[in-house]
Amino acid sequence: MSKPEFVYITYIGTTPEKLWEALTSSEFTRRYWFNTDVRSDWKVGSAIALVMDGKTTDVGEILEADRPRRLSYTFKHVSDEELKQEPASKVVFALEPHGKVVKLTLTHEGFVEGGKMLDGISKGWPAILASLKSLLESGTAVAIPLAALGIEGIE
Amino acid sequence: MSKPEFVYVIYIASTPEKVFEALTDAEASKLYWHGNSVDSNWKVGSAFALRLARQEKQDITGEVLEYDPPRRLAYSFCAHDGSDGGRPSRATFELERQRDQVKLTMIHDQFEPGSDVLEKVSKGWPLILSSLKSYVECGKVLYAPWYEERPLATKNAAGAAR
Repeated sequence: MSKPEFVYITYIGTTPEKLWEALTSSEFTRRYWFNTDVRSDWKVGSAIALVMDGKTTDVGEILEADRPRRLSYTFKHVSDEELKQEPASKVVFALEPHGKVVKLTLTHEGFVEGGKMLDGISKGWPAILASLKSLLESGTAVAIPLAALGIEGIE
Repeated sequence: MSKPEFVYVIYIASTPEKVFEALTDAEASKLYWHGNSVDSNWKVGSAFALRLARQEKQDITGEVLEYDPPRRLAYSFCAHDGSDGGRPSRATFELERQRDQVKLTMIHDQFEPGSDVLEKVSKGWPLILSSLKSYVECGKVLYAPWYEERPLATKNAAGAAR
């Protein structure tokens, strides 16, 4: 049986460089990622921290940073009491240019059976990536209220 | 074991009415669906067709299963290309207003386990729905990478994406 994982593909009218910048710059992420900073020097082996409204929600280590093609890091939730019991998972962003459009494939894997993390990120990523797409294409992020996603343990 | 299905969620800064209109309007669909257009009178039980811009391909046909504007739309979907063995699957669109945006949930299901339908629709819908979002939000559409190799004769299809 296949392991539980989350895969989401979206197409964005931008360049791989701009998309890479949007994924790795807190100036950008704050605007489309629930006011989250992504703190890292983006070198393989370096630490990364996701900091939402000043509170660290997730930490990890950079596994791949092949600008502007592939970015991956481990992803360990550290905020919610229940979610933080789950092991670190892994996020991969693959950026593939097609003319004036970039195909972005996000893969998030390494979840435990019956855990709540998979459900949470399955609700979170479509909202984050929809907002990212809007920001890059129209200059306006889609402000999706986090509470609207109905993720257990996250408000 | 659960039946195979494809589920895709996308958020669009618009109203359910406008997104529903884009899903059911032939001219709008032609723009974001790379020259392909939806064709139906949208009465439950009536015929549905996706008219394909590439003439050598047979249109996708089906039947309107649900039409509840601006909340729900469903039609059956038979591709006639051998991927579904001539048996229709089902495409359902659910629209939910969330403040000043729409949560669009697209579900493609009711195909046979082991058929090629899941792989095909898993590739197709993310691009179509990404393009729909761009069209509704900024009047832009995205082009289909696989149309590059064999450009369309009609100007309206791939050309509209440039």
